[in-house]
Amino acid sequence: MSKIYFSVWQDEVVDNRNKDCDDWAESSHKLPVSYDSNNETKAFVGWDGFALFNKDVDVVQLAVNYARQYQEYSEACGRCAPGRWGGRILYDVLDKIGRGEGELSDLDHLKDIASTMTVTSKCEIGKTVPVPLLQMIEYFEDDFVTCINKKQKSKWYGIDDSKYIANVTAPCTDMCPSHVDIPAYIEGVRDLNYEDSLSSTRQTMPLAHTCGRVCPHPCEDACRRTNLDEPISIMELKRIGADWETDHAQDWFHPTKPKNPRNDGKKVAIIGAGPAGLTAAYYLGLEGIDVTIFEELPVLGGEVAVGVPEYRMPIDKYNKDIQLVTDLETVTVITNHRVNANRLKEIDEEFDATLLGFGARLSKKVRASNENPKMGGYWGAIEMLDKVNLWHKYDIGSPASNELKDKVVVCVGGGFTSMDVVRCSIREGAKKVYMLYRRDEKTIIRNTTYEEYTEAVEEGVEFIFYSAIEEIYDDGNNITKLKVNKFELVPDPNGGRAQLVKIEGGDIEIECDYLIPAVSQSLDLQILPEEWNMEMTSWASIMTNGRDYMTSRAGLFAAGDCEYGPMTIVNAVGQAKRAASVISRYIYTNEISLTDDEIMEDHFNKLKVYNKNEKITGWMPGLPREHSEKLETNVRKYNNKEVNLGFTASEAQSEAERCMRCYYIGMVSI
Amino acid sequence: MYEMLLYWDGINMSERIIHRGKAINVTIDGKSCSGVYGQTILEIARENEIYIPTMCHLTKVSPIASCRMCVVDVEGVDGEILSCQEKAVDGAVINTNNDELFKNRQNIVKLYDVNHPLQCGVCDKSGECDLQNKTLEFKLDTQEFAVKDMPRKQKKWGVLSYDPSLCIMCEKCVHTCNEIIGTAALYIKPGGYKSTIDIKMSKCEQCGDCISVCPVGALVSTDYKYTANAWESKQIPSSCAHCSSGCSLIYEVKNIRDGEFKQTEKIMRVKNEFEFASLCGAGRFGFNFENTNTFKDEEAFNKAVTAFKNANTIKFNSYITNEEAKILQNLKEKTGLSLFNEDAYNYQQFMNGYSSIIGKKHYTTNSKGISSSDAIIMLGTRISRDNPGVKYNVNIATKKQRAEFIYMHPIDDEALKNKYTQFVKYEAGSEEAVLSLLVSYLVKDITDSSITTFINDLDIGYLSGESSVGEEELEDIVQKLIRKQNKTLIVGTDLFGHKKSTNLGKLVGVIDRYTDFNVVVVPSQTNTLGVSLICDLDKNIGDKTVGYNEIADFVLSNNGKGDLDMPALNQQEGTFVSLDKCIINSNVALDFNGYCLNDIANAVLDENNELTINYTSMLPTQSGFKVINFDDLENGFTNMGVDKRGYALDDIDTQIDLTIGDIDDLTTYNGSVIYRCEPLHQFNKSTAISPWLKADTHLRGSASFAQAAKINAGDKVKVICDGLSIERVFKIDKTIKGTIALYPTFDNGLSADLVSLGYRFKQVKIEKVEA
Repeated sequence: MSKIYFSVWQDEVVDNRNKDCDDWAESSHKLPVSYDSNNETKAFVGWDGFALFNKDVDVVQLAVNYARQYQEYSEACGRCAPGRWGGRILYDVLDKIGRGEGELSDLDHLKDIASTMTVTSKCEIGKTVPVPLLQMIEYFEDDFVTCINKKQKSKWYGIDDSKYIANVTAPCTDMCPSHVDIPAYIEGVRDLNYEDSLSSTRQTMPLAHTCGRVCPHPCEDACRRTNLDEPISIMELKRIGADWETDHAQDWFHPTKPKNPRNDGKKVAIIGAGPAGLTAAYYLGLEGIDVTIFEELPVLGGEVAVGVPEYRMPIDKYNKDIQLVTDLETVTVITNHRVNANRLKEIDEEFDATLLGFGARLSKKVRASNENPKMGGYWGAIEMLDKVNLWHKYDIGSPASNELKDKVVVCVGGGFTSMDVVRCSIREGAKKVYMLYRRDEKTIIRNTTYEEYTEAVEEGVEFIFYSAIEEIYDDGNNITKLKVNKFELVPDPNGGRAQLVKIEGGDIEIECDYLIPAVSQSLDLQILPEEWNMEMTSWASIMTNGRDYMTSRAGLFAAGDCEYGPMTIVNAVGQAKRAASVISRYIYTNEISLTDDEIMEDHFNKLKVYNKNEKITGWMPGLPREHSEKLETNVRKYNNKEVNLGFTASEAQSEAERCMRCYYIGMVSI
Repeated sequence: MYEMLLYWDGINMSERIIHRGKAINVTIDGKSCSGVYGQTILEIARENEIYIPTMCHLTKVSPIASCRMCVVDVEGVDGEILSCQEKAVDGAVINTNNDELFKNRQNIVKLYDVNHPLQCGVCDKSGECDLQNKTLEFKLDTQEFAVKDMPRKQKKWGVLSYDPSLCIMCEKCVHTCNEIIGTAALYIKPGGYKSTIDIKMSKCEQCGDCISVCPVGALVSTDYKYTANAWESKQIPSSCAHCSSGCSLIYEVKNIRDGEFKQTEKIMRVKNEFEFASLCGAGRFGFNFENTNTFKDEEAFNKAVTAFKNANTIKFNSYITNEEAKILQNLKEKTGLSLFNEDAYNYQQFMNGYSSIIGKKHYTTNSKGISSSDAIIMLGTRISRDNPGVKYNVNIATKKQRAEFIYMHPIDDEALKNKYTQFVKYEAGSEEAVLSLLVSYLVKDITDSSITTFINDLDIGYLSGESSVGEEELEDIVQKLIRKQNKTLIVGTDLFGHKKSTNLGKLVGVIDRYTDFNVVVVPSQTNTLGVSLICDLDKNIGDKTVGYNEIADFVLSNNGKGDLDMPALNQQEGTFVSLDKCIINSNVALDFNGYCLNDIANAVLDENNELTINYTSMLPTQSGFKVINFDDLENGFTNMGVDKRGYALDDIDTQIDLTIGDIDDLTTYNGSVIYRCEPLHQFNKSTAISPWLKADTHLRGSASFAQAAKINAGDKVKVICDGLSIERVFKIDKTIKGTIALYPTFDNGLSADLVSLGYRFKQVKIEKVEA
């Protein structure tokens, strides 16, 4: 709920112009009333309307500045005729009116050009910029006409001390935890300019191979193309640029040229070389800041290396993502280095800032009776996947087929980790693999991906839905059998949430050799010195405010699973990227600050950029989403070959052409 | 319990629905049009001759979508649809024109016209400017508004000059540079109204294709600027004479008066059908190579006739037309003269071996085949210099098909580095071993016993060791070819001059016949393919020689320096056989008033063929030529970009002989080794005298070459081989690795050169010439 003087946003108009302050109506949209802790917002202008939070705002001046921000906003624009020249004309005409030199015919020209921009521009940014401008002219016509008729400057023209801050976003970019400039990397594929594509991705996402393969792609849930037909295959287009770079081994395509080492004595420690640690190291390294990563395992990459199986995420590809980071001059990596509480105290002392990115690597129990992690056949998912991956990817240890060949395996889970467990078990030669899941098929697909689930089914995994283990039986040494309860979903007669109710007499028994719990993971908290009294979340993860990622201890930051609890790679990347930005300033100022871009990013995220009810115009509906080729079941089932072969060139281009480039520009004045 | 479990059969992710290529039908402006899914609305409209205005569309690159003028109306769809990018959907009813569309298109032209400098009077593009045309088409005789402009600086980028004030940011140049030429030197500097085109000069090859695609006067030729108005020149469609790509081009000829009011014709520039085709810098800027001695010297002519009658050998090269080759062949047939053309002879030897395996006269694919490949293996050529057209097509394949491109050569090539996915270095002289290894790794499951015996007898370890092509590298190649649908093997000049060229041809033939590779054998000179199909060439040279553009006892030459002047290739009608195995026409850009080869033949043989093109219809049908008169050959391109020049050769069956010769022990190339390789935009005597082209005559090598030969950068050195020696200045080229230097020959004119032919690698002695 926002306190506002006047606003138009989507279909809602809030007009408090002739009302007493106490009677002001509110908006249902989360408009950015205050910019940050120090600044109130005077006004906001965006793709779906505008809002005035203050009676005193000069609307003409606001319009001039929005047009100016648009046509000067250099990164997104100038690539189509209506946008490039139209934007300039909007600005020039509005400015002319603002300085008291306008004529009534200028308003007609403006409307005429605005309508062509709205219909023909290449991106949504060109199509939507005229929207709030025309609304301002409609709702505050007098302000404009007075300037014209009286040949006078608008209220604040020339004496305005407001600061105008603009930023560009897109529904997909907003939904992506790493805020990847998705339309830009898709445009690179469309233009067959793969170098541009990759460097666009790497502006906020160094793990392009990885998140081009194993990201659950929340962005696709916010793809505007869904409103027309089907979402763009956003994730798979990401790997195109990364694969191109790898295949045409040249220099790294960085988003900006890495800066020279600062050599100013400032240094940052990172605990854990997983996605979060690598990401933070990358962006600090690009800035020339000295970074040391401490990694407990002998290998780099964290859970993506030792957790995600080879057939989904080939290690040679992931190693490219890793090498991109470690090749930076100021990044140092120390492996086989376990950090415990004492060591962390030393590091905390020695470094100007420390980022915790140690993940969540303790398998949780399934909570059945007679559950004993020491019992033969009880195998935590993380330990099991460590063994599988260390053997296949690094020749470390021994093959898990020693344990699993011809055995019956039961996994309890429902997320990505459990999918990895069951599909690896098949590959290690298990005779029969069951997956027990408390909820239904639809939910498991939502929690993972359609592809992941379907491929597991194809490979012969048997899913038992609405089920939970009640009791584990053993012969004193090994697990022998499980008693499994079955549930059904009973709708709430009062219209509330449906409840899972145990089916009486519906229990089943499953004989098995292995039980692999993959229900969730928790943090290994031995690393945190007790005397620091770190603030923790109710999930027993490290508490931050979710914006700057500093923990309750000054100079100590946390990102990724150890901050959020078990979550996605892209989430870890997004958090770490932000943390790295904050750290890059903190080590000099000892203060926490966000850039204007980051503040705007958070405002957009609160406001929500994607509007699933919006009607799409100007695009041909019915162009089907491309699907990449996957290895056939019998070819992939018993080996670690990458299952997804990726888009062919023509598929990629065709899919990229479906992208509607839904850039938007939002601006606040403070 | 089982009924509680969920069973899935019949779902298989691998079974994808493929929409591309399905037949569709759409209605455009009331006309029923058929097409296939994947085609854009604009493509189908153009196929059906329906006009949709565009400013940024360029057929040869992917849709750019910057101008937005091609918007159309689709019934049942809200808003206007961008026809250049949006695929047509079956059943769509499309209207390409109505008041609303007209208004929006008109507004776009108005926007383009805002601040577009009114300097048409002095603009090179005036008269052929898309913006002029569209301003007229959309009836814009007044401009109602302007905006404050900003200073924009003109730039000079070598052969191109850029004026950002004139630039409409259509992005055609940037797309061409990346997708066709492959250098990606031009790029967009975004920035709203400030946005502009910029260049990474170190990447630019100075081909000038960006100039030709520019719809306005923003990118113009530096040398041509302010020399002619578009409408003053006569346009002569022809084919490029410099390499075997035989790119189509248009000579623009203007009548100019000198100080004494004498009128002469001059080629002002070369243009091309940029919508569909491209041209390298040599083709675009190397056009002034005509023979200026253009009068009839009867005395010299009579001497020439006598020389022909007394000679026993005619020496020539493959920079001639098919008709000239046919005349020479007639002379041989009727007088018993030997024909000596080492270039075409070597090519014939190679092709004889190749044809004996595949049973066909011609190789199996062409440039279109290359550009649509998803896997390419190339060996025996430094293609970026030998044939830029092939390089462009390889680049198109790597960009549009994201093709695997395996480049095999003794010297890495900087110009291919952003294209190949694997570079395999082999030793100079080991081509036979390399091809044998490829045969053994690529040819699988065959029954022809002579081939299986050959493969089984190969000593892979030895071949791999001697050629330095590792077995892992070969395994890598095999891996890269998995699931590839359109594979092409491209081989070039290194193989023809090799002493085992026939056997090399056979090995290439084996790959063509027994794998799903198709083959292009890139002809070494402009008309090597034509000459090799027309002339019966001799291996040895006699003691009394007449040279046709070659050094001999009596020389007929088109460079003004021989005993009798002959027309250059831009001064005569005739045909070439291009890399695409097509007969292509070359026309007279500038008149030549002296004698031509047919005059000689008429005198020697007492015949009466008034024109050289009388011979066009006499070209040998047993080699695939057709009986068609020159004047009946078509020219130009269709609306859909089909090259209509000339005709395609018929395929001809040949005798099959599956025996393959033994693989020789490898000769090692030690010490100083040079590789015959021309610099950028140079090919031959014609390019050497073209004043707009830069001539770099250095011997180029790496620092390690210099060290081994004990020479320094800037030294004048003597290159000695087989008793001949030539002086060159040495230059260090950081892009070259290893100890082989690049040695140019284009500038030798009519003088003999130690390495102008034969095998391209030569072991030489390098001596420093003391100042």
